[in-house]
Formats: sequence, C-alpha cells, structure tokens
Amino acid sequence: MNRRNFLQNTGVATVGLTLGGLSLQSFSSDSRTKITILHTNDTHSHIDAFDANHPKYPNQGGVSRRATLINAIRKENPNTLLLDAGDIFQGTPYFNFYGGELEFKLMSMLKYDAATLGNHDFDNGVDGFYKQLPHAKFDFVNANYDFKNTILDGLIKPYKIFKKEGIKIGVFGLGVELDGLVLKQLYKETKYNDPIAISQQITDTLKNEEQCDLIICLSHLGYAYKHDSTTISDLKLAAATKNIDLIIGGHTHTFLDKPTSVTNVVGKQVLVNQVGKYGINVGRVDFYFDSLKNIKSEGESIPV
Amino acid sequence: MNPLNFKFLATCALFLMMISCTSPKKQLVETQTRLIPVNEKYQTDSLIDNYILPYRTSVDKEMSTIISYTPENLNSRDGKLESSLGNLLADLCYEQANPVFNKRTQEDIDFVLFNHGGIRASIGKGGITNRHAFQLMPFENMLVVVELTGEKVVEMVDYLNKSNRAHPLSKQVKLHLENDSIATFTINNKPFDRSKNYFVLTSDYLQKGGDKMNFFANPVSLHELDYKFRAAIIDYFVKTDTVKTRLDQRFKRIN
Repeated sequence: MNRRNFLQNTGVATVGLTLGGLSLQSFSSDSRTKITILHTNDTHSHIDAFDANHPKYPNQGGVSRRATLINAIRKENPNTLLLDAGDIFQGTPYFNFYGGELEFKLMSMLKYDAATLGNHDFDNGVDGFYKQLPHAKFDFVNANYDFKNTILDGLIKPYKIFKKEGIKIGVFGLGVELDGLVLKQLYKETKYNDPIAISQQITDTLKNEEQCDLIICLSHLGYAYKHDSTTISDLKLAAATKNIDLIIGGHTHTFLDKPTSVTNVVGKQVLVNQVGKYGINVGRVDFYFDSLKNIKSEGESIPV
Repeated sequence: MNPLNFKFLATCALFLMMISCTSPKKQLVETQTRLIPVNEKYQTDSLIDNYILPYRTSVDKEMSTIISYTPENLNSRDGKLESSLGNLLADLCYEQANPVFNKRTQEDIDFVLFNHGGIRASIGKGGITNRHAFQLMPFENMLVVVELTGEKVVEMVDYLNKSNRAHPLSKQVKLHLENDSIATFTINNKPFDRSKNYFVLTSDYLQKGGDKMNFFANPVSLHELDYKFRAAIIDYFVKTDTVKTRLDQRFKRIN
C-alpha cells in the first residue's frame, strides 16, 4: 500500500467508526449514556478474604473476588470508573512486609482509575509512599494537601478528568488534617489546606473551565463526627459547597446501606457514600445522561 | 486523492457537523445506587490469586518463623490484678524503651502501664513466632513516655482500684491495695512521693484517652519514642532465647 492510499483509507475508516459510534448514541431507542462509578475505601491491606470462621466478617472481602465482580460490571458497562477513597495501607502483615507494594500492584491489575490518600497511607512516611508509587498504574488525586516541600511534589494531581462516551467526569481528592493523626516526621512538610475553600476553587475549575458533566470528590475527611461540631466531614462539605455530584468518602469506616442525599448551598442534591472497610463491599453509582428533550420528569431523580 | 473519495469525506464531515449542531449536550437525568457485598457469591479470579500466592507464601513463612520460646502458657487471665503476659509485656517494653528514652533525655522511665484490653491474644507453651507478636499487637500503637505529676499518679491508682482489672504494670511498681486505699506503693523500691513527677511509659493510644485513662491527658511533658509497640515486642523476642516471666504480686489486693 502506498502512503497516499494508506492515509485515505485510515481517514475513511476513522470517519466511519466515529459515525458508527455517534449514530448508535443518537438514534438508538435508548439514547441514554450510563456512567458507572465503582468505589472502595479503607481497604487497609486486606488482600485475602476473611476466614469462614471470622466472628464479624466470615467469608467476606478479598481482592480476588473483587476483581471478578469488577470485571463483570466493566463488561456490562465499559463506561465504568473504579475509584478508592484512601487508607489503602496498613492492617495486615502484607503491608508490614511489603510496604504497600502488593496493594498498589493489585489495584493496578484491577484497573483502578484514581485514588486519594488517607492518613494511613502516610504510615511509612511520604518517603514510604513515594517508594511504592511506581507500582501504582493509576493516579492519586488530592487538592488540599500541599506537597510542594516534600518528595511527592508534582506527583499528586489535584484532580483528573475522564471522558467516557462524550461525558466529562472530573474527580478530585480531599485529605483529612494530618496533625494529631499522623506523626509529623512521617507527613513531614505536607501542608493541609481548608477542604471547603479548596473544593469551591477546584469545582469551579472543573465545572466552568473544564466543562465537566459530572464532578466526584474522593474524600478521606470522614462521613460525620457526632460529638464534634467543628470538624469538617463529608456531610458538612456537601452542604457547604456547590457543583459536587458525588462524594465518595472514607476514614470513619462508615457502613452505609445507601448513599446519603445532602442539599448543597444552591439547593441541589449531593450524594455522600461510604462502604465500610477492608473491601467488604464495593459501592456502585450509575449516572444516566440524556439530551434534554428526552427528560421525562423535571429535575434529578435520586432514589433514597 | 481521487474526487470520489473526497466527495464521500466531505459528505461525512457535513453529516457530522449537522449531528453535533442538532444534538443537545447530554445532562444528568437519573442516578441509581447499589451496595455490593463482596462474598462467596463471586468466584475468585485465578490471575489475581496466582499473583498473590508467592507474597502470601512468603508472609506465612515469615509469620511462622520462631523467634523465641516459652516454657509456660502465657495469657492475660492467670492472675487477679496481674497476669503472666501482662507482666511480660510491661517488663519487655521497659527493657526495650528505657535505653531509647535515656539516650534522648538522660532520664530513666519510672514504670510502665498499659491496658488489660490491649492484650489481644495469648501465647501457648513452645515456640513464639512473629505471628504471636502481630496477634498480641495488631495495631500500630507507638510507645510514648508521659511525665505525670504525683497528683496524676494518685489519679492513676484510683483508676486502677476502680477498674479492678489486671492492667499491665512493670515490675518497678509494687502496689498493694486494702479496702480501696493504698497499703503499699513503691516505685523502684522507693515509697511513692506525691510531690515528685514520674516518667510513665505507655502507648500513644492510651495517652490520647484510650480506655478512659484520662490521667494521661495534658501531661507535664510528652516524649514520643518513635518506637512501635509491636516492634519492641519483636525486638525483645528475637534477642531472648527463652522468655521468663511470673506473677510476682506487683499489683494485688490484700483483703
């Protein structure tokens, strides 16, 4: 094949493919685009499933079964994102022996798309995290830790944008205040910034500059703090901000049967979810997108 | 490019433009959520299983490595206000942590206090393995030295009296209670002095209010040793061929 013919053929083929994709979306009876979000939090190095005789979680969890589950869902809907809200490290000897290497490698094999850092991810220091980072074939996002004066400078992105069938999904991360939770010599010069102020700024960028259709926050702030009205939590963050569609939380090991719906500052509903710990559950949120003419009822339908 | 192909391309491009102009931007119209429990309903993935296997084998081997030996069963329930395992843990932590503390401050730890509930397992007669150490202390608690006033130490004794459990104390303490009051209280064979400050080794968990040991709050000074509780246990076992411990009546009720 000469060069000219090759170019022509490629061009036609590309147009044909694009056309095929578009016509499928635009003219099939179901014009909706479904984005599936799968998520975990506080897996804490729980690679193996719990024993059958475990008093609390018999036969539950396990990365290998999680892989089967996730593969099945990805097959059903290729427009799937797999996310984690932090505390990947610490909890079984796998971490004590390998420092998180196996956790990151398995998450890469499961094709995680993004994760945020929890306080326990600092348990071997910023250096210990840095050392394992090459094993992670997915990105870590955090917007409120300033890593400028640490070894992690430039390696953690504030947010990441995914495009699935024309839908733009912005995912940003938030971390808990480390002082008091993690020894200073471990988190070193990592600076903690106010999650609310940072969220306003980041979601403004995601919504207005990046034109995201869906904004997801991976948060390790904790779901809620009963006896403490001052500590920032996911419920408070949801109520005090705008533009966030879903907060995937962690840290408090909260088992929610279904996400909590919170009204934000502009009166829109924000979903706050968390699925316990140790990979016992995977959370699933399906977002359906459609052109306006196909909306049957006004507003958003969020089952509660 | 021949004219036919060009014409086809141009038509396609026009068609594409029309579609993108007429089809409005899609908006979020519905959300559905589900909690998926990970259980035996899902087969294991052989690729993942095979990947984990060498790591698991290696961890199992390491965890099963014998690092010391005990001629007796050690547990936390073989005495009333003390226990073989509690005495061992308190004494070994003193032995491991005091050189660290002394090097930094030129002071010595006066005694050790942990909580009874913190002893998470027992050790059967025979070989002691790394797994025992992980079972004894699954958490990442750190050892800290808390400088307490004599008044706070009195609060501590009050706590120990009321809680009436075998909270691990190191052998530097001799505390005998009689009818809810102190009959004997010596530290390092010297009578307890209410006007003096004491350096108490404990875990960061208890210092921060775990098990309601509130006397540890707001101490005169707090010294982090950067030494994990579990690391101290393992270090001691590794250097000790045969573990020796016993109930020595360091903490008891006379009546």
